[in-house]
Amino acid sequence: MNFIVRAPAAEISSSRGLVMKTASKFALVVFLLLALTTMPSAQDAKITVLNPRGNPPPTPLIPMALRPASLEGKTVYFVDIKYEGGAGLLRAIMDWFAKNTASANLVFREKAGAYDQEDAKLWAEIKEKGDAAIIAVGH
Amino acid sequence: MGKPAAGIVTSRFVEIAQAGARKTGMPNARLVFVPHPVHGKTAEQHQAYVMGKDPATGKQVIQEIVDALTKPLTDEDKKAGFLETKTPPRLIGPETQDRLQRLFMASGWTDYLPIILPTEQKVKDMLKGTSHSPDEMVGKMAGGNFEPWEFTVEKVAVNAVMAGAKPEYLPVLLAIAESGVSSIYDSPDSLVRAIVVSGPVREEIGMNFEAGAMGPFNQANAAIGRAWTLMSRNLGNAGLVGETYSGSQGNSLNYNNIVIAENEKQSPWSPLGVQKGFKPGDSIISLYTGLGIHAGQGAKRAGAPVRPAFDRQISSILDTFTGYFGALIVCDPLVAKELKAQGYDTKDKLSDWLHKNTTMTAADYKEARFVADYDAPKAKKGIEPYASWFKLPPTARIPRFASPKDIEIVVTGGETLAVFQAGNLKYLTSVSIDKWR
Repeated sequence: MNFIVRAPAAEISSSRGLVMKTASKFALVVFLLLALTTMPSAQDAKITVLNPRGNPPPTPLIPMALRPASLEGKTVYFVDIKYEGGAGLLRAIMDWFAKNTASANLVFREKAGAYDQEDAKLWAEIKEKGDAAIIAVGH
Repeated sequence: MGKPAAGIVTSRFVEIAQAGARKTGMPNARLVFVPHPVHGKTAEQHQAYVMGKDPATGKQVIQEIVDALTKPLTDEDKKAGFLETKTPPRLIGPETQDRLQRLFMASGWTDYLPIILPTEQKVKDMLKGTSHSPDEMVGKMAGGNFEPWEFTVEKVAVNAVMAGAKPEYLPVLLAIAESGVSSIYDSPDSLVRAIVVSGPVREEIGMNFEAGAMGPFNQANAAIGRAWTLMSRNLGNAGLVGETYSGSQGNSLNYNNIVIAENEKQSPWSPLGVQKGFKPGDSIISLYTGLGIHAGQGAKRAGAPVRPAFDRQISSILDTFTGYFGALIVCDPLVAKELKAQGYDTKDKLSDWLHKNTTMTAADYKEARFVADYDAPKAKKGIEPYASWFKLPPTARIPRFASPKDIEIVVTGGETLAVFQAGNLKYLTSVSIDKWR
Protein backbone atom coordinates (compact mmCIF):
# COMPACT_ATOMS: atom_id res chain seq x y z
CA MET A 1 0.00 0.00 0.00
CA ASN A 2 1.31 3.41 -0.98
CA PHE A 3 0.66 6.40 1.18
CA ILE A 4 0.84 9.67 -0.66
CA VAL A 5 0.89 12.62 1.59
CA ARG A 6 0.13 15.83 -0.17
CA ALA A 7 1.36 18.91 1.56
CA PRO A 8 -0.41 22.22 1.25
CA ALA A 9 0.96 24.47 -1.58
CA ALA A 10 2.45 27.05 0.79
CA GLU A 11 4.25 24.37 2.69
CA ILE A 12 5.63 22.91 -0.54
CA SER A 13 6.90 26.27 -1.61
CA SER A 14 8.64 26.80 1.76
CA SER A 15 10.11 23.32 1.62
CA ARG A 16 11.45 23.96 -1.89
CA GLY A 17 13.20 27.05 -0.58
CA LEU A 18 14.78 24.99 2.19
CA VAL A 19 15.96 22.38 -0.33
CA MET A 20 17.43 25.12 -2.52
CA LYS A 21 19.25 26.67 0.47
CA THR A 22 20.61 23.28 1.54
CA ALA A 23 21.66 22.46 -2.02
CA SER A 24 23.54 25.70 -2.46
CA LYS A 25 25.29 25.20 0.90
CA PHE A 26 26.23 21.67 -0.16
CA ALA A 27 27.52 22.96 -3.52
CA LEU A 28 29.63 25.54 -1.72
CA VAL A 29 31.15 22.90 0.56
CA VAL A 30 31.88 20.65 -2.43
CA PHE A 31 33.41 23.59 -4.28
CA LEU A 32 35.61 24.49 -1.34
CA LEU A 33 36.66 20.88 -0.86
CA LEU A 34 37.51 20.57 -4.54
CA ALA A 35 39.35 23.87 -4.50
CA LEU A 36 41.36 22.84 -1.46
CA THR A 37 42.24 19.43 -2.78
CA THR A 38 43.13 20.60 -6.27
CA MET A 39 44.95 23.80 -5.22
CA PRO A 40 48.72 23.15 -5.31
CA SER A 41 50.08 23.02 -1.74
CA ALA A 42 53.57 24.20 -0.85
CA GLN A 43 54.65 20.54 -1.03
CA ASP A 44 53.20 20.11 -4.51
CA ALA A 45 54.62 23.33 -5.94
CA LYS A 46 57.54 22.63 -8.25
CA ILE A 47 60.84 24.24 -7.36
CA THR A 48 64.34 24.32 -8.79
CA VAL A 49 67.33 23.54 -6.58
CA LEU A 50 71.09 23.60 -6.94
CA ASN A 51 73.07 20.44 -7.50
CA PRO A 52 75.25 19.67 -4.45
CA ARG A 53 77.81 17.55 -6.28
CA GLY A 54 81.41 18.58 -6.91
CA ASN A 55 83.21 18.00 -10.20
CA PRO A 56 84.87 14.64 -10.81
CA PRO A 57 88.38 14.90 -12.24
CA PRO A 58 89.07 13.93 -15.85
CA THR A 59 90.48 10.41 -15.76
CA PRO A 60 93.13 9.65 -18.39
CA LEU A 61 92.80 6.15 -19.79
CA ILE A 62 95.88 3.98 -19.39
CA PRO A 63 96.23 1.56 -22.33
CA MET A 64 96.87 -1.94 -21.03
CA ALA A 65 100.21 -3.67 -21.69
CA LEU A 66 100.38 -6.14 -24.57
CA ARG A 67 100.08 -9.76 -23.49
CA PRO A 68 102.52 -12.54 -24.42
CA ALA A 69 101.01 -15.65 -26.04
CA SER A 70 102.32 -17.79 -23.18
CA LEU A 71 104.32 -17.47 -19.97
CA GLU A 72 106.86 -20.14 -20.88
CA GLY A 73 110.37 -18.76 -20.49
CA LYS A 74 109.05 -15.50 -19.05
CA THR A 75 109.87 -13.83 -15.73
CA VAL A 76 106.73 -13.54 -13.62
CA TYR A 77 106.75 -11.41 -10.45
CA PHE A 78 104.50 -12.34 -7.52
CA VAL A 79 103.93 -9.18 -5.47
CA ASP A 80 102.59 -9.28 -1.93
CA ILE A 81 101.30 -5.86 -0.93
CA LYS A 82 101.38 -7.18 2.67
CA TYR A 83 97.71 -7.09 3.54
CA GLU A 84 96.87 -10.10 5.70
CA GLY A 85 96.95 -13.49 3.96
CA GLY A 86 98.19 -12.27 0.58
CA ALA A 87 101.58 -13.98 0.83
CA GLY A 88 100.10 -17.43 1.48
CA LEU A 89 97.73 -17.12 -1.44
CA LEU A 90 100.56 -16.00 -3.74
CA ARG A 91 102.68 -18.97 -2.68
CA ALA A 92 99.83 -21.28 -3.67
CA ILE A 93 99.62 -19.60 -7.09
CA MET A 94 103.39 -19.83 -7.46
CA ASP A 95 103.25 -23.57 -6.70
CA TRP A 96 100.85 -24.03 -9.60
CA PHE A 97 103.07 -22.05 -11.98
CA ALA A 98 106.14 -24.01 -10.85
CA LYS A 99 104.41 -27.25 -11.80
CA ASN A 100 102.67 -26.07 -14.97
CA THR A 101 105.02 -23.51 -16.56
CA ALA A 102 108.33 -25.11 -15.75
CA SER A 103 110.44 -22.76 -17.88
CA ALA A 104 109.03 -19.59 -16.29
CA ASN A 105 111.25 -17.67 -13.88
CA LEU A 106 109.15 -17.00 -10.77
CA VAL A 107 110.14 -14.12 -8.48
CA PHE A 108 108.43 -13.37 -5.12
CA ARG A 109 108.61 -9.81 -3.77
CA GLU A 110 107.13 -8.00 -0.78
CA LYS A 111 106.14 -4.45 -1.63
CA ALA A 112 107.97 -1.89 0.53
CA GLY A 113 106.01 0.37 2.90
CA ALA A 114 102.48 -0.06 4.13
CA TYR A 115 99.89 -1.76 1.93
CA ASP A 116 98.56 1.56 0.67
CA GLN A 117 101.93 3.09 -0.20
CA GLU A 118 103.68 3.18 -3.57
CA ASP A 119 106.91 1.25 -4.19
CA ALA A 120 108.38 2.98 -7.24
CA LYS A 121 111.62 0.98 -6.94
CA LEU A 122 109.81 -2.35 -7.24
CA TRP A 123 107.66 -1.18 -10.17
CA ALA A 124 110.89 -0.05 -11.94
CA GLU A 125 112.48 -3.44 -11.28
CA ILE A 126 109.49 -5.28 -12.73
CA LYS A 127 109.47 -2.96 -15.75
CA GLU A 128 113.15 -3.72 -16.36
CA LYS A 129 113.37 -7.40 -15.55
CA GLY A 130 109.85 -8.79 -15.56
CA ASP A 131 107.44 -9.94 -18.27
CA ALA A 132 104.32 -10.06 -16.09
CA ALA A 133 103.16 -9.56 -12.51
CA ILE A 134 100.57 -11.14 -10.24
CA ILE A 135 99.66 -8.78 -7.41
CA ALA A 136 97.67 -10.06 -4.43
CA VAL A 137 95.82 -7.69 -2.14
CA GLY A 138 95.02 -10.18 0.62
CA HIS A 139 92.50 -9.55 3.43
CA MET B 1 104.67 -0.36 -14.91
CA GLY B 2 103.91 -1.16 -18.56
CA LYS B 3 103.81 -4.92 -18.00
CA PRO B 4 100.89 -7.37 -18.07
CA ALA B 5 99.42 -7.71 -14.59
CA ALA B 6 96.72 -9.68 -12.83
CA GLY B 7 95.29 -8.32 -9.59
CA ILE B 8 94.04 -10.85 -7.04
CA VAL B 9 91.38 -9.50 -4.67
CA THR B 10 89.01 -11.19 -2.22
CA SER B 11 85.35 -11.44 -3.19
CA ARG B 12 84.21 -9.00 -0.50
CA PHE B 13 85.73 -6.19 -2.56
CA VAL B 14 84.46 -6.89 -6.10
CA GLU B 15 82.69 -3.54 -6.59
CA ILE B 16 85.29 -1.43 -4.82
CA ALA B 17 88.15 -3.04 -6.79
CA GLN B 18 86.36 -2.56 -10.11
CA ALA B 19 85.49 1.05 -9.20
CA GLY B 20 89.12 1.63 -8.20
CA ALA B 21 90.30 0.30 -11.58
CA ARG B 22 87.91 2.68 -13.37
CA LYS B 23 89.05 5.63 -11.27
CA THR B 24 92.70 4.97 -12.07
CA GLY B 25 91.96 4.93 -15.82
CA MET B 26 92.03 1.18 -16.45
CA PRO B 27 88.34 0.17 -16.47
CA ASN B 28 89.14 -3.24 -17.98
CA ALA B 29 92.00 -4.06 -15.59
CA ARG B 30 92.14 -7.83 -15.28
CA LEU B 31 91.06 -8.65 -11.76
CA VAL B 32 90.56 -12.13 -10.35
CA PHE B 33 88.54 -12.74 -7.19
CA VAL B 34 89.04 -15.45 -4.57
CA PRO B 35 86.77 -16.29 -1.61
CA HIS B 36 86.95 -13.88 1.33
CA PRO B 37 88.95 -13.86 3.57
CA VAL B 38 92.37 -15.29 2.72
CA HIS B 39 93.77 -14.24 6.10
CA GLY B 40 94.14 -17.07 8.64
CA LYS B 41 93.74 -19.85 6.05
CA THR B 42 96.03 -22.86 5.73
CA ALA B 43 98.23 -23.59 2.69
CA GLU B 44 95.73 -26.29 1.69
CA GLN B 45 92.85 -23.81 1.83
CA HIS B 46 94.80 -21.32 -0.30
CA GLN B 47 95.51 -24.14 -2.74
CA ALA B 48 91.79 -24.91 -2.89
CA TYR B 49 90.97 -21.24 -3.57
CA VAL B 50 93.46 -21.19 -6.46
CA MET B 51 92.05 -24.34 -8.04
CA GLY B 52 88.45 -23.41 -7.21
CA LYS B 53 86.05 -20.94 -8.74
CA ASP B 54 86.13 -17.15 -8.77
CA PRO B 55 82.98 -16.24 -6.75
CA ALA B 56 82.37 -13.24 -9.02
CA THR B 57 82.55 -15.02 -12.39
CA GLY B 58 82.22 -18.74 -11.66
CA LYS B 59 85.39 -19.43 -13.68
CA GLN B 60 88.42 -21.28 -12.34
CA VAL B 61 90.75 -18.87 -10.51
CA ILE B 62 94.04 -20.20 -11.90
CA GLN B 63 92.71 -20.22 -15.47
CA GLU B 64 91.56 -16.61 -15.05
CA ILE B 65 95.04 -15.63 -13.81
CA VAL B 66 96.69 -17.24 -16.84
CA ASP B 67 94.12 -15.62 -19.15
CA ALA B 68 94.64 -12.22 -17.51
CA LEU B 69 98.33 -12.38 -18.41
CA THR B 70 98.14 -14.01 -21.83
CA LYS B 71 94.78 -13.30 -23.47
CA PRO B 72 95.16 -10.75 -26.33
CA LEU B 73 93.92 -7.23 -25.67
CA THR B 74 90.59 -6.02 -27.04
CA ASP B 75 90.23 -2.64 -28.76
CA GLU B 76 88.70 -1.32 -25.53
CA ASP B 77 91.77 -2.46 -23.55
CA LYS B 78 94.06 -0.48 -25.88
CA LYS B 79 92.07 2.76 -25.70
CA ALA B 80 93.86 6.00 -24.77
CA GLY B 81 92.31 9.42 -24.12
CA PHE B 82 89.99 10.14 -21.23
CA LEU B 83 87.22 8.27 -19.46
CA GLU B 84 83.90 9.94 -20.07
CA THR B 85 82.95 11.98 -17.02
CA LYS B 86 79.83 14.07 -16.75
CA THR B 87 79.96 17.51 -15.16
CA PRO B 88 76.83 17.67 -13.01
CA PRO B 89 74.22 20.21 -14.16
CA ARG B 90 74.05 23.28 -11.88
CA LEU B 91 70.28 23.15 -11.46
CA ILE B 92 67.85 20.31 -10.78
CA GLY B 93 64.10 20.66 -11.39
CA PRO B 94 61.56 22.10 -11.47
CA GLU B 95 60.16 19.28 -9.37
CA THR B 96 58.01 18.86 -6.27
CA GLN B 97 59.73 18.99 -2.89
CA ASP B 98 58.79 15.41 -2.08
CA ARG B 99 60.30 14.15 -5.30
CA LEU B 100 63.46 16.23 -4.80
CA GLN B 101 63.88 14.87 -1.26
CA ARG B 102 63.53 11.36 -2.66
CA LEU B 103 65.94 12.09 -5.53
CA PHE B 104 68.62 13.49 -3.18
CA MET B 105 68.25 10.51 -0.87
CA ALA B 106 68.21 7.86 -3.61
CA SER B 107 71.28 9.46 -5.22
CA GLY B 108 73.28 9.17 -1.99
CA TRP B 109 73.57 12.97 -1.62
CA THR B 110 72.24 13.07 1.96
CA ASP B 111 72.86 11.38 5.31
CA TYR B 112 69.54 9.55 4.74
CA LEU B 113 67.64 12.12 6.78
CA PRO B 114 65.54 14.88 5.18
CA ILE B 115 67.53 17.93 4.12
CA ILE B 116 66.76 21.61 3.54
CA LEU B 117 66.33 21.82 -0.23
CA PRO B 118 68.97 24.18 -1.65
CA THR B 119 66.86 26.61 -3.68
CA GLU B 120 68.60 29.44 -5.51
CA GLN B 121 67.31 31.96 -2.96
CA LYS B 122 68.51 29.91 0.04
CA VAL B 123 71.95 29.44 -1.53
CA LYS B 124 72.11 33.16 -2.38
CA ASP B 125 71.32 33.96 1.26
CA MET B 126 73.94 31.47 2.46
CA LEU B 127 76.60 33.08 0.24
CA LYS B 128 76.14 36.32 2.22
CA GLY B 129 78.21 34.56 4.91
CA THR B 130 81.43 35.05 2.91
CA SER B 131 83.05 37.80 0.86
CA HIS B 132 84.36 35.23 -1.60
CA SER B 133 82.93 34.80 -5.10
CA PRO B 134 80.57 31.84 -5.63
CA ASP B 135 82.74 30.71 -8.57
CA GLU B 136 85.99 30.66 -6.62
CA MET B 137 87.60 27.24 -6.44
CA VAL B 138 87.92 26.17 -2.81
CA GLY B 139 89.90 22.97 -3.14
CA LYS B 140 89.79 19.24 -3.71
CA MET B 141 88.50 16.42 -1.55
CA ALA B 142 88.56 12.62 -1.68
CA GLY B 143 87.22 10.09 0.79
CA GLY B 144 90.11 7.67 0.32
CA ASN B 145 92.91 6.85 -2.10
CA PHE B 146 90.92 8.16 -5.05
CA GLU B 147 91.36 11.07 -7.41
CA PRO B 148 89.96 14.06 -5.52
CA TRP B 149 86.96 16.04 -6.77
CA GLU B 150 86.99 19.83 -7.18
CA PHE B 151 84.41 22.31 -5.93
CA THR B 152 83.58 26.01 -5.69
CA VAL B 153 82.38 28.31 -2.90
CA GLU B 154 78.83 27.93 -4.26
CA LYS B 155 78.97 24.13 -3.91
CA VAL B 156 80.02 24.47 -0.27
CA ALA B 157 77.10 26.89 0.26
CA VAL B 158 74.66 24.38 -1.32
CA ASN B 159 75.73 21.69 1.15
CA ALA B 160 75.61 24.21 4.01
CA VAL B 161 71.95 24.95 3.18
CA MET B 162 71.15 21.23 3.02
CA ALA B 163 72.62 20.72 6.51
CA GLY B 164 70.56 23.53 8.07
CA ALA B 165 73.48 25.93 8.54
CA LYS B 166 73.20 29.70 8.93
CA PRO B 167 75.20 32.04 6.67
CA GLU B 168 77.51 32.96 9.56
CA TYR B 169 78.70 29.34 9.76
CA LEU B 170 79.87 29.39 6.12
CA PRO B 171 83.49 30.53 6.78
CA VAL B 172 83.94 27.55 9.13
CA LEU B 173 82.60 25.20 6.45
CA LEU B 174 84.80 26.77 3.77
CA ALA B 175 87.83 26.20 6.02
CA ILE B 176 86.85 22.54 6.41
CA ALA B 177 86.34 22.26 2.65
CA GLU B 178 89.69 23.93 1.95
CA SER B 179 91.44 21.34 4.14
CA GLY B 180 90.36 18.64 1.68
CA VAL B 181 89.74 16.33 4.65
CA SER B 182 86.66 14.19 4.11
CA SER B 183 84.81 13.24 7.30
CA ILE B 184 84.07 9.84 5.79
CA TYR B 185 87.12 7.82 4.77
CA ASP B 186 87.42 4.57 2.87
CA SER B 187 88.88 2.14 5.40
CA PRO B 188 87.58 -1.19 6.69
CA ASP B 189 88.14 0.30 10.16
CA SER B 190 85.13 2.65 9.83
CA LEU B 191 87.18 5.68 10.81
CA VAL B 192 85.74 8.83 12.36
CA ARG B 193 86.83 12.45 12.20
CA ALA B 194 86.83 15.25 14.74
CA ILE B 195 86.96 19.03 14.40
CA VAL B 196 88.12 21.46 17.08
CA VAL B 197 87.09 25.08 16.59
CA SER B 198 89.29 27.70 18.31
CA GLY B 199 89.18 31.48 18.52
CA PRO B 200 86.53 34.21 18.53
CA VAL B 201 84.38 32.60 15.82
CA ARG B 202 83.02 30.16 18.42
CA GLU B 203 81.22 32.95 20.27
CA GLU B 204 80.41 34.98 17.15
CA ILE B 205 78.35 32.17 15.63
CA GLY B 206 76.99 30.92 18.94
CA MET B 207 78.74 27.55 19.23
CA ASN B 208 78.24 25.61 22.43
CA PHE B 209 81.38 25.00 24.49
CA GLU B 210 79.64 24.79 27.87
CA ALA B 211 77.06 22.29 29.23
CA GLY B 212 76.32 19.60 26.66
CA ALA B 213 79.09 20.94 24.39
CA MET B 214 79.59 17.71 22.44
CA GLY B 215 75.90 16.75 22.23
CA PRO B 216 73.08 17.69 19.85
CA PHE B 217 72.05 20.81 21.74
CA ASN B 218 73.12 23.67 19.53
CA GLN B 219 72.43 24.61 15.92
CA ALA B 220 75.96 25.79 15.07
CA ASN B 221 77.68 22.66 16.43
CA ALA B 222 75.06 20.36 14.87
CA ALA B 223 74.92 22.00 11.45
CA ILE B 224 78.70 22.32 11.12
CA GLY B 225 79.11 18.61 11.87
CA ARG B 226 76.32 17.59 9.52
CA ALA B 227 77.54 19.86 6.73
CA TRP B 228 80.99 18.23 6.94
CA THR B 229 79.40 14.85 6.27
CA LEU B 230 77.28 16.19 3.39
CA MET B 231 80.30 17.95 1.89
CA SER B 232 82.29 14.73 2.15
CA ARG B 233 79.61 12.81 0.28
CA ASN B 234 78.96 15.43 -2.37
CA LEU B 235 82.24 17.29 -2.83
CA GLY B 236 84.55 14.35 -2.17
CA ASN B 237 82.36 11.53 -3.51
CA ALA B 238 82.95 9.76 -0.19
CA GLY B 239 80.81 7.17 1.55
CA LEU B 240 79.44 5.22 -1.40
CA VAL B 241 79.39 1.78 0.19
CA GLY B 242 81.08 -0.76 -2.08
CA GLU B 243 82.54 1.95 -4.29
CA THR B 244 84.28 4.57 -2.17
CA TYR B 245 83.60 3.16 1.32
CA SER B 246 84.57 -0.19 2.76
CA GLY B 247 84.02 0.26 6.52
CA SER B 248 83.04 -3.11 7.91
CA GLN B 249 80.68 -1.87 10.63
CA GLY B 250 80.31 1.84 9.86
CA ASN B 251 80.21 4.41 12.65
CA SER B 252 77.31 6.53 13.89
CA LEU B 253 79.78 9.36 14.55
CA ASN B 254 79.90 9.83 10.77
CA TYR B 255 76.39 11.38 10.97
CA ASN B 256 77.73 14.68 12.21
CA ASN B 257 81.22 13.87 13.47
CA ILE B 258 82.90 14.90 16.71
CA VAL B 259 82.49 18.67 16.92
CA ILE B 260 84.36 20.45 19.70
CA ALA B 261 84.38 24.19 20.35
CA GLU B 262 87.08 24.97 22.90
CA ASN B 263 86.03 26.53 26.21
CA GLU B 264 88.88 28.99 26.10
CA LYS B 265 87.53 31.19 28.92
CA GLN B 266 87.53 28.40 31.49
CA SER B 267 90.62 26.57 30.28
CA PRO B 268 93.72 27.01 32.43
CA TRP B 269 95.90 26.18 29.43
CA SER B 270 96.65 27.89 26.10
CA PRO B 271 94.08 27.25 23.38
CA LEU B 272 94.77 24.72 20.65
CA GLY B 273 94.90 27.36 17.92
CA VAL B 274 97.84 29.06 19.61
CA GLN B 275 99.57 25.71 20.12
CA LYS B 276 99.25 25.15 16.38
CA GLY B 277 101.14 28.35 15.66
CA PHE B 278 98.25 30.77 15.06
CA LYS B 279 97.96 34.12 16.81
CA PRO B 280 95.64 34.62 19.81
CA GLY B 281 92.49 36.10 18.28
CA ASP B 282 92.72 33.97 15.12
CA SER B 283 89.84 31.65 14.42
CA ILE B 284 90.90 28.22 13.19
CA ILE B 285 89.78 24.65 12.79
CA SER B 286 91.92 21.62 13.66
CA LEU B 287 91.01 18.22 12.26
CA TYR B 288 91.63 14.73 13.63
CA THR B 289 91.12 11.17 12.40
CA GLY B 290 90.91 7.85 14.19
CA LEU B 291 88.85 5.08 15.66
CA GLY B 292 86.49 6.91 18.02
CA ILE B 293 86.12 8.48 21.44
CA HIS B 294 85.51 7.06 24.94
CA ALA B 295 84.21 8.68 28.12
CA GLY B 296 86.29 8.38 31.29
CA GLN B 297 84.74 7.87 34.72
CA GLY B 298 85.80 11.26 36.03
CA ALA B 299 85.91 12.37 39.65
CA LYS B 300 83.91 10.72 42.42
CA ARG B 301 82.19 14.07 42.67
CA ALA B 302 83.30 17.63 42.27
CA GLY B 303 85.12 18.70 45.40
CA ALA B 304 85.74 15.16 46.68
CA PRO B 305 88.27 15.22 49.56
CA VAL B 306 90.73 12.86 47.85
CA ARG B 307 92.17 14.44 44.74
CA PRO B 308 91.22 12.41 41.72
CA ALA B 309 94.09 10.91 39.73
CA PHE B 310 92.91 12.09 36.35
CA ASP B 311 96.33 11.45 34.81
CA ARG B 312 96.15 7.75 35.75
CA GLN B 313 92.50 7.52 34.66
CA ILE B 314 93.34 8.98 31.26
CA SER B 315 96.35 6.68 30.94
CA SER B 316 94.24 3.59 31.63
CA ILE B 317 91.90 4.52 28.77
CA LEU B 318 94.87 5.17 26.48
CA ASP B 319 96.01 1.62 27.27
CA THR B 320 93.24 0.36 24.99
CA PHE B 321 94.29 2.63 22.10
CA THR B 322 96.47 1.99 19.08
CA GLY B 323 99.50 4.24 19.02
CA TYR B 324 99.11 4.64 15.25
CA PHE B 325 96.23 7.01 15.82
CA GLY B 326 97.31 9.37 18.58
CA ALA B 327 95.14 10.56 21.44
CA LEU B 328 92.95 13.63 21.78
CA ILE B 329 92.02 14.18 25.42
CA VAL B 330 88.92 16.34 25.87
CA CYS B 331 88.81 17.69 29.42
CA ASP B 332 85.93 19.45 31.15
CA PRO B 333 87.31 22.71 32.62
CA LEU B 334 86.97 21.15 36.13
CA VAL B 335 89.37 18.36 35.14
CA ALA B 336 91.76 20.78 33.45
CA LYS B 337 91.84 23.07 36.51
CA GLU B 338 92.40 20.13 38.86
CA LEU B 339 95.22 18.80 36.68
CA LYS B 340 96.82 22.23 36.70
CA ALA B 341 96.52 22.33 40.50
CA GLN B 342 98.27 18.96 40.61
CA GLY B 343 101.28 20.38 38.76
CA TYR B 344 100.39 20.06 35.11
CA ASP B 345 100.61 23.77 34.43
CA THR B 346 100.99 23.19 30.69
CA LYS B 347 99.39 20.70 28.34
CA ASP B 348 102.87 19.55 27.34
CA LYS B 349 103.61 18.38 30.90
CA LEU B 350 100.51 16.20 30.89
CA SER B 351 101.33 14.83 27.41
CA ASP B 352 104.86 13.98 28.59
CA TRP B 353 103.56 12.15 31.68
CA LEU B 354 100.98 10.20 29.66
CA HIS B 355 103.58 9.28 27.05
CA LYS B 356 106.00 8.01 29.68
CA ASN B 357 103.42 6.14 31.74
CA THR B 358 101.25 4.56 29.05
CA THR B 359 103.29 1.56 27.98
CA MET B 360 102.99 -1.92 26.50
CA THR B 361 105.28 -4.93 26.10
CA ALA B 362 107.39 -5.26 22.97
CA ALA B 363 105.61 -8.58 22.30
CA ASP B 364 102.16 -6.93 22.38
CA TYR B 365 103.47 -4.09 20.25
CA LYS B 366 104.67 -6.39 17.47
CA GLU B 367 101.31 -8.17 17.39
CA ALA B 368 99.25 -4.97 17.37
CA ARG B 369 96.89 -4.39 14.46
CA PHE B 370 98.31 -1.19 12.92
CA VAL B 371 101.95 -1.91 13.78
CA ALA B 372 102.29 -4.61 11.12
CA ASP B 373 100.87 -2.28 8.46
CA TYR B 374 102.58 0.99 9.33
CA ASP B 375 105.40 0.67 11.88
CA ALA B 376 107.04 -2.55 10.65
CA PRO B 377 107.98 -1.03 7.25
CA LYS B 378 109.47 1.99 9.08
CA ALA B 379 111.42 -0.29 11.42
CA LYS B 380 112.79 -2.15 8.40
CA LYS B 381 114.04 1.14 6.98
CA GLY B 382 115.78 1.93 10.29
CA ILE B 383 113.42 4.77 11.26
CA GLU B 384 113.40 5.46 15.03
CA PRO B 385 111.94 4.68 17.50
CA TYR B 386 110.39 1.80 15.55
CA ALA B 387 113.72 0.17 14.56
CA SER B 388 114.85 0.01 18.21
CA TRP B 389 111.45 -1.15 19.45
CA PHE B 390 111.49 -4.11 17.07
CA LYS B 391 114.84 -5.24 18.51
CA LEU B 392 113.69 -5.27 22.15
CA PRO B 393 113.05 -8.54 24.07
CA PRO B 394 109.34 -9.51 24.29
CA THR B 395 108.92 -8.41 27.94
CA ALA B 396 110.54 -4.97 27.54
CA ARG B 397 108.08 -2.10 27.97
CA ILE B 398 107.77 0.60 25.35
CA PRO B 399 105.58 3.73 25.12
CA ARG B 400 102.23 3.11 23.46
CA PHE B 401 102.63 6.35 21.50
CA ALA B 402 105.78 7.17 19.55
CA SER B 403 106.00 10.73 20.88
CA PRO B 404 104.37 12.99 23.52
CA LYS B 405 103.29 15.12 20.54
CA ASP B 406 100.90 12.31 19.58
CA ILE B 407 98.86 13.12 22.72
CA GLU B 408 96.90 16.37 22.40
CA ILE B 409 94.59 18.06 24.89
CA VAL B 410 91.59 20.39 24.51
CA VAL B 411 89.09 21.79 27.00
CA THR B 412 85.32 21.96 26.59
CA GLY B 413 82.27 21.52 28.80
CA GLY B 414 80.10 23.22 31.38
CA GLU B 415 81.66 22.22 34.72
CA THR B 416 78.61 20.25 35.85
CA LEU B 417 80.96 17.33 36.62
CA ALA B 418 84.72 16.72 36.51
CA VAL B 419 84.75 14.37 33.52
CA PHE B 420 86.78 13.82 30.38
CA GLN B 421 86.69 11.93 27.12
CA ALA B 422 89.63 10.43 25.26
CA GLY B 423 89.65 9.97 21.50
CA ASN B 424 91.94 7.54 19.70
CA LEU B 425 92.44 10.36 17.25
CA LYS B 426 95.44 11.62 15.29
CA TYR B 427 95.99 15.28 14.37
CA LEU B 428 95.75 16.00 10.64
CA THR B 429 95.82 19.73 9.98
CA SER B 430 94.69 23.22 11.04
CA VAL B 431 93.16 25.81 8.70
CA SER B 432 92.34 29.51 9.15
CA ILE B 433 88.65 30.39 9.23
CA ASP B 434 89.34 34.14 8.99
CA LYS B 435 90.48 34.01 5.36
CA TRP B 436 87.01 32.76 4.39
CA ARG B 437 85.03 35.55 6.08
